[in-house]
Amino acid sequence: MNNSGKWFHVIEAVLAVMVILMAAAMLLEKNSKQYRKISVVIQDAEDTQWAAFRYGLKMAAQDQKVELVVASTADVLTKEEQLNTIKREIELGADAVIVQPVPGDDLEQKLRHLEKKVPIMLVEYTAAKEREKSQFPSVEPDHSAMGEALAEELKKDYCGNLSGKKYGILMKADAPHAMNSRRQGVEKALQDTGIVCSWVVDGSVENKPEVDIVIALDNNSLIKAAEQAAANNLHGALVYGIGNSTQAAYYLDTGSVECLVVPDEFSVGYYSLTEAAERLRHFFRGMKSRVVAYTVIRREELFEERNQEILFTMCQ
Amino acid sequence: MNHKSKPRKIQSTIMAAFSIMSASIMLVLGIVMYLRFSVASKHDIIQSTKKLMEQTGENLEDYLVSMRQISDAVYYNVIKENDFSSQDKDIQKGMNLLYEANSRNLRSIAVYNHYGSLIAAEPVALQKEDPDVTRQDWYQKAFKEVENMHFSTPHIQNLFDDHTHRYYWVISLSRVVELTDHGIPMNGVLLVDMDYAGISRMMKKINAINNGQYYYLCDSNGQIIYHNRQIQISNGIAYENSIQTAKYKDGVYEDLFRGEKRKVIVNTISYTGWKLVGIIPYATFNQGMYDIRYFIVILILLMAMMLVVINRVISVRISSPILKLNESVTEYEAGEKPEIYIGGSQEIRYLGYSIQRSYEQIDELMHKIVLEQTERRKSELDALQSQINPHFLYNALDSITWMIEGERNDDAVVMISELAKLFRISLSKGRTIINIKDELQHAKSYMNIQKVRYKNSFSITFDVEQEVYACCTVKLVLQPILENAINYGMEGMDDCGEIKVTGTLKDGNVTLSVADNGVGMSEEEVSLVLTDSNRIHKHGSGVGLVNVNNRIQILFGKEYGLLVESEPDEGTTVSVRIPAVPYTEENRKKLEMGHVFSREEISDNKAQHL
Repeated sequence: MNNSGKWFHVIEAVLAVMVILMAAAMLLEKNSKQYRKISVVIQDAEDTQWAAFRYGLKMAAQDQKVELVVASTADVLTKEEQLNTIKREIELGADAVIVQPVPGDDLEQKLRHLEKKVPIMLVEYTAAKEREKSQFPSVEPDHSAMGEALAEELKKDYCGNLSGKKYGILMKADAPHAMNSRRQGVEKALQDTGIVCSWVVDGSVENKPEVDIVIALDNNSLIKAAEQAAANNLHGALVYGIGNSTQAAYYLDTGSVECLVVPDEFSVGYYSLTEAAERLRHFFRGMKSRVVAYTVIRREELFEERNQEILFTMCQ
Repeated sequence: MNHKSKPRKIQSTIMAAFSIMSASIMLVLGIVMYLRFSVASKHDIIQSTKKLMEQTGENLEDYLVSMRQISDAVYYNVIKENDFSSQDKDIQKGMNLLYEANSRNLRSIAVYNHYGSLIAAEPVALQKEDPDVTRQDWYQKAFKEVENMHFSTPHIQNLFDDHTHRYYWVISLSRVVELTDHGIPMNGVLLVDMDYAGISRMMKKINAINNGQYYYLCDSNGQIIYHNRQIQISNGIAYENSIQTAKYKDGVYEDLFRGEKRKVIVNTISYTGWKLVGIIPYATFNQGMYDIRYFIVILILLMAMMLVVINRVISVRISSPILKLNESVTEYEAGEKPEIYIGGSQEIRYLGYSIQRSYEQIDELMHKIVLEQTERRKSELDALQSQINPHFLYNALDSITWMIEGERNDDAVVMISELAKLFRISLSKGRTIINIKDELQHAKSYMNIQKVRYKNSFSITFDVEQEVYACCTVKLVLQPILENAINYGMEGMDDCGEIKVTGTLKDGNVTLSVADNGVGMSEEEVSLVLTDSNRIHKHGSGVGLVNVNNRIQILFGKEYGLLVESEPDEGTTVSVRIPAVPYTEENRKKLEMGHVFSREEISDNKAQHL
């Protein structure tokens, strides 16, 4: 074969390879348009308190072009149920999982085992006892700051004169670390004011000693306290609380709650999914933890423009 | 260093030229095709977006018109027709009918007096504790421009408590109405709260395609009514250029917002002044072009493959006859005698014919030159021989004359007899080449004549090997050497001069030597013997060894000729060195024709004659 013959075959071979590469690239591009799937495992997923969180997830999924699946869960999840739900979601093709961890000492360790399969992002609070010791990224509000802000509003209402007053704390037991942080925030702000904590309970306030102020540290506790207040079962005690549902807002609107601190659940949902989606898009990019903001709302401010948007996200 | 690149072959050159040309054409074609597709696709996207927006705009207008019609119907058919003090049930009934008929899009219908107190509402619900509507935007707007209907931006309805713990997102249509209470006309405000979900549904429908292109709705001030990233914008995660866009009239605009280039299509909703805005980021245009890009590149590559094959076929077809012609010419130049290739196109055929004719002419000319050269050599030889004949004749006749004058008639007879032999061999029927035997005979005759002339003052001996006799030689080569030996060698020798002629055959060469014991020559003289033909000779005709040497070399080649060795007072030996070509008629003719025998030919000849 002469020189030009060799060149002819080389050129034809190179062109053929390029055609194959282009065709492969075209197919890959089409396949890459298939959405990645991110599953979310939260307790009592259908509860109204998750409305803003779910709306944030939905918006982020739309922005990030990923498929969002919120696993259907029971009101209360045990550690095993949650782990099984996560495993099932992974088996069903989840590329990443967003988890609201349930209480359990070795949950973080178990999650670490699952993280080898897919990236895991935590929301609302970490699985470790202390936030700093958690090895998982998380998106959550500053629990301590929220408690502190709530107590500050209380102090404002009483012009700092809380001497001789009593208060009770209502909080759920299934998120001990977050709740303790909120409680510590409250206690920090109220120390040296003369106010005394009469009780700290999970669940009902019935048969509890009378107090002047009830501080509810989570949405469900707040609604329970507000319901009691609306039914005049609190003996005139004022309710201050942290909540993130339209019910909580309603009780603020109707005067059953004096002050409401609302964590930005939209941002919790939005940033957690955005981080997970970014991690899927860039293999070597780690997920970052975020602390989202909160808003202090008083009754007279509820329908102000900025607060209407918070209500809007809760209404979705 | 200046390296000259090797010239390319014609086939490579043609193929490279064709390939570059076709690649350029394909590239230009591809770019033009892509641009054309791109422009057409962009135009299509814009047109379809415009159409969709027009349609949605019409739907929105219909929706808003229907709301206005509800407001008109409540006002003109219910409120104006009845007195609130006495006909409150009729008013409630009328409002209920209208509400029920449009409940899908309505959240509530309410009438407030000029103090902001609720007079009637549908559906009947508990009013919130002191909502203070006079501080609400829709109420204030209604009284600000009493002649108009006012559409608010979306907001949470803050009027009723239906105990569902829910909040509704509504758009309020408010207007000042004239109502009658206890027969007294007064101003009030009619509020029709539209469910935001109605508009939201319409907008979501057109925003369903998640390809980067999106639509939003804003009022004339740029306040966003619907945006699919509304909360992200409020939270500062996303941004929208709504305030600037609200200033645009209907049409298509180029927009550069936060570094992103995009097309903005604006459609104004009549009466409200709301703007329906369609945003097409340029990335969306490109997104639609990805497949076309790949398709065009693959198409170009396939075309390139095809063109390379076509180029190859064409270049081979064009260059093949030229290459064949070149091959035959190369073979010809290498000394072979191939047929010159004649084929291919008319021009190549003509070139082939032309080259063939040229080679034929060259052959003819070569043949002619050879003939001419032979002729020239022959004439040179003849001229040389004719130089010898008069010289010798002069000497011989001089000797005979001298004998006759001395009455030595017997000697004269012998002399004449020897002369006759001499001439017979000299003539040799006009031949130039004779055998050595005849040449030696000629030399003997010559020496016999000379001995007579020189009164036997020297002796001559012949010692020649037998096989030498049958070899070819140029005739009359020994005679001038012998003459020189007599004239220069025997001078002053007083009867003791000796001349010895020897003939040997060694290594395919014949050497005939004439040795004398005369006075000899100096080295300088020896060097001049064969080179200086213009020397003045002391004796004889002046034709000497130079001529003999030339003749030998003309006929046998430059490596043959004479060799002169001499020592002063010792004597001189002149050797004739010629190839041992067997004497045959054929060889004689060849030699006379100018053919120079190679060593191989001589060996072959010798073998044949043994």
